[in-house]
Amino acid sequence: MNSFTRAAALFAASLGLASAATVNYDFNITWVTANPDGAFARPVIGINNQWPIPRIEANVGDRIVINVNNQLGNQSTSLHFHGLFMNGTTHMDGPVGVSQCEIPPGHSFKYDFTIDQPGTYWYHSHHNAQYPDGLRGPLIIHDPKFPYRKEVDHELVITLSDWYHDQMQTLLPIFLSKGNPTGAEPVPKAALMNETQNLTLPVEPNKTYMFRVINIGAFAGQYLWIEGHTMRIVEVDGIYTEAAEADMVYISAAQRVSFLLTTKNDTSANFPIVSSMDTTLFDTLPDDLNYNVTGWLTYDSKATLPEPALVDELNPFDDMTLVPYDKMELLPEPDQVVELDVIMDNLRDGKNYAFFNNITYTKPKVPSLYTAMSAGDLADNAAVYGEFTHPFVLKKGEIVQIVVNNLDSGRHPFHLHGHAFQAIHRSEEEAGTFEDENLSESDYPSVPMRRDTLVIWPNGNIVMRFKADNPGVWLFHCHIEWHVASGLLATFVEAPLEIQKQFTIPDDHLAVCDAAGTPSKGNAAANTVDFLDLTGENRAPKTIPGGFTPRGIVALVFSCLTGVLGVVVVAWYGLSTPLELVPLEVTRIVENSEVTETSAAANGDESRAAVSSSNDASGGAISRS
Amino acid sequence: MAKNVFAVQIFFIVFRECLEAVIIISVLLSFLKQSLGGPEQDQVIYKRLVRQVWLGSFAGIVICLIIGGGFIGAFYGLGKDIWSKSEDLWEGIFYLIATIIISFMGLALLRINKMKDKWRVKIAQALAEKSAESTKKTTWLGDWSRRHVMFILPFITTLREGVEAVVFVGGVSLSLPATAFPLPVVCGIIAGLAVGFFIYRGGNLMSIQIFLIASTSVLYLIAAGMFSKSVWSLQYHTFAQRVGSDVAEEGNGPGSYDITETVWHVNCCNPETDNGWDVFNAILGWQNTATYGSVIAYNVYWAFLVLTVSLLIYEEKTGSLPLKNQFLSAMSKVPGLRGWAAKKRANQNSNVNEHEVFRQVQAAGLLRE
Repeated sequence: MNSFTRAAALFAASLGLASAATVNYDFNITWVTANPDGAFARPVIGINNQWPIPRIEANVGDRIVINVNNQLGNQSTSLHFHGLFMNGTTHMDGPVGVSQCEIPPGHSFKYDFTIDQPGTYWYHSHHNAQYPDGLRGPLIIHDPKFPYRKEVDHELVITLSDWYHDQMQTLLPIFLSKGNPTGAEPVPKAALMNETQNLTLPVEPNKTYMFRVINIGAFAGQYLWIEGHTMRIVEVDGIYTEAAEADMVYISAAQRVSFLLTTKNDTSANFPIVSSMDTTLFDTLPDDLNYNVTGWLTYDSKATLPEPALVDELNPFDDMTLVPYDKMELLPEPDQVVELDVIMDNLRDGKNYAFFNNITYTKPKVPSLYTAMSAGDLADNAAVYGEFTHPFVLKKGEIVQIVVNNLDSGRHPFHLHGHAFQAIHRSEEEAGTFEDENLSESDYPSVPMRRDTLVIWPNGNIVMRFKADNPGVWLFHCHIEWHVASGLLATFVEAPLEIQKQFTIPDDHLAVCDAAGTPSKGNAAANTVDFLDLTGENRAPKTIPGGFTPRGIVALVFSCLTGVLGVVVVAWYGLSTPLELVPLEVTRIVENSEVTETSAAANGDESRAAVSSSNDASGGAISRS
Repeated sequence: MAKNVFAVQIFFIVFRECLEAVIIISVLLSFLKQSLGGPEQDQVIYKRLVRQVWLGSFAGIVICLIIGGGFIGAFYGLGKDIWSKSEDLWEGIFYLIATIIISFMGLALLRINKMKDKWRVKIAQALAEKSAESTKKTTWLGDWSRRHVMFILPFITTLREGVEAVVFVGGVSLSLPATAFPLPVVCGIIAGLAVGFFIYRGGNLMSIQIFLIASTSVLYLIAAGMFSKSVWSLQYHTFAQRVGSDVAEEGNGPGSYDITETVWHVNCCNPETDNGWDVFNAILGWQNTATYGSVIAYNVYWAFLVLTVSLLIYEEKTGSLPLKNQFLSAMSKVPGLRGWAAKKRANQNSNVNEHEVFRQVQAAGLLRE
């Protein structure tokens, strides 16, 4: 039935008919055992007992209905549809704690939304750093009006990812612990291509293939190149671009790139497709880690699959130079500028957290969207969403500029839910903050590249602009899943009063809240009476004091006092005269010998008495030597 | 890192051992002076014996210098790699050893005058044995040692004190760089000689006493700091084990210490990296991160010391400790400690023997002409 409707929809699309269809999926989220890198079999999260999970496909204009039933038994879940704007259906976006409650084991949840945008997307769990366990797959929206449609003979979808042998619920407590004060992210065990290795892609000669490449990994960016072939980039993150030739592309976690590749005339040889994990992200590079994954364009399945050649340098295409196909011009100067400094630091519990401006994201008691829905007119007040969701309320229709200054020495792919932004500036590495660069409006490209996930370079900055034309509650976050876990998120509450008019929260969404014990009304502290009273909201641990605390002062003073007391006692001991310096009789024997030498025997008694008294007075034995 | 050129604990150990050796030598010299130094006595024998004392002393010193040099050379030549790997663990253990050594020898410094008498007794005892031997059949060796008793005594004394100093210095400073050795050793020797000389001359006793009190106090400040550092190092070791190699890269900031164990932390004044603070670290055990363990250890050490010293004072004032006999009789019922308790009890009554010895010495005419 599902496949029928989907086939019908695709058929309709292929005829160029503008009829919208409904694409239905029933997703049972289940544990599956898999061994994608041939090194270690482990439990992975699959759908309908299958892994890799199915590709969602639809046409522009279609309505997608997904019935999710969580059959994991031991973990809650959710699904987020990465890159979809969810216009009018922000409650279908998927992040737990933002637009919904977690779906506890045994419960169901319906995602129901209409897609108005073409391109390459993906879907994944947006709960508790769960998707690297396998719950991640492509989501492709076909477009009858795709500008390069006539050139394309075939389409191929390639996912790139990194792979861990341990489950995230094992790795997270290790990563987020005081035993990891530098916040070193666990290094993947392998790289995967289409969730496997040594992939072969049979191709025909003299054809043009459209590759839709998605990095569905948790952490590593990927350098991708295909030996002997040039790529013509035509789409990034669902935005069509003017065709741009590239020999190598860099695709960060969550980014997508589509390119056209025309096959050779000659079918005698096969060509390696190499994807290489960005090892600059890794704190350590284990000796046994193969950070490359190789597949092959196979013209001839009987010919050998050659080993990939070594490359001298990784010199990927700069996505900032792309030009959107629709030539959308630079948005006017911003009405609101949101400036976010990226910092990694430790809090009082010794763990390493990630911060935007000294705030590390902490999930509110009530999902932020539900706060917006229940706060009435106060929804416009950022305070109701709680300090630790780092909320920014955007007015309807205003131009918003996000400036991110990376004060960290790592690369971060920043992703905005609900929008594709104009990437109007990206500094070089080590360029410092945006203020340092002193840029003006004329320095920005007139037709900036747009996408929904943009990489910032170490100690550099990026500037993004978008129009707040999509009411909803949207996260802005680093798409390295470890940094999501350590709090590198901010919340944009866009036109909250408009959201309230758009929809009411479906009953099945509220039902999972009840099942999970999550309140679905109230401010971030679940206060439904006084929305400005945030007593009891979830908070990040306290910051580490830079100097002495009262506890420290007490300890230091007490230590000083005991030290002084000890010294006093030692001095007392030193000054006190022991009862017997030396047995008195011994002294007398010695004295006698002296006395007899030096003085007359007659005076013996007297001098003996004098000696004993001086002996009693203080350390007499010494003074006599 | 500031170059560590003056290890205070080494200074005090050398000072103390040196002082002890000087006192013994001075006791010997004054014996000689008392018994043979008079104008009417044989100046030739007197000078020969005095020369023997000095010869013995220097021979002992030279040999112990050779031993010490070999010991420290071997230690730095062979051993350094072993502890550089898990530095904090070894530092913790060495600090603990050093604390124990200093704790035991520190109070004796305050009873240096008592020590002088102790040595009088001991030397007299040795002489008494010699005189007792002389009545027996003499071997060649026995005869030689009897005639050269004034060489052998200072020789053995300086050798013993010297080797003791070497072992103590080694034990206390295993984790220190070689640069930290020469200066405190030289200063310790100079100070020991100077104080010993004052004691011999019978100078202002009070000022010597104050000097000794001051240096003992400093010694115990060091010991308390070391005990605290020992606990700190062991804790840091377990933390660093969990964190991995990253911890050393963190400098002062977060992650360089275990915040949940921390009583105070200041992002400065790290004795490992900031100049000047290493002096506080060496003398007072300062750490810019104090843990519950290190603070408690510091205070417990002082509490222990105050208690011990109070008991000592009480014992000296009254001649006995309360419950001492009860304690010893209880101990004597514990199988492993029976011998120890019996020995302690015997010692309580041993003073009489010393008097006996003196009588013998006197009878043998060695203290008098």
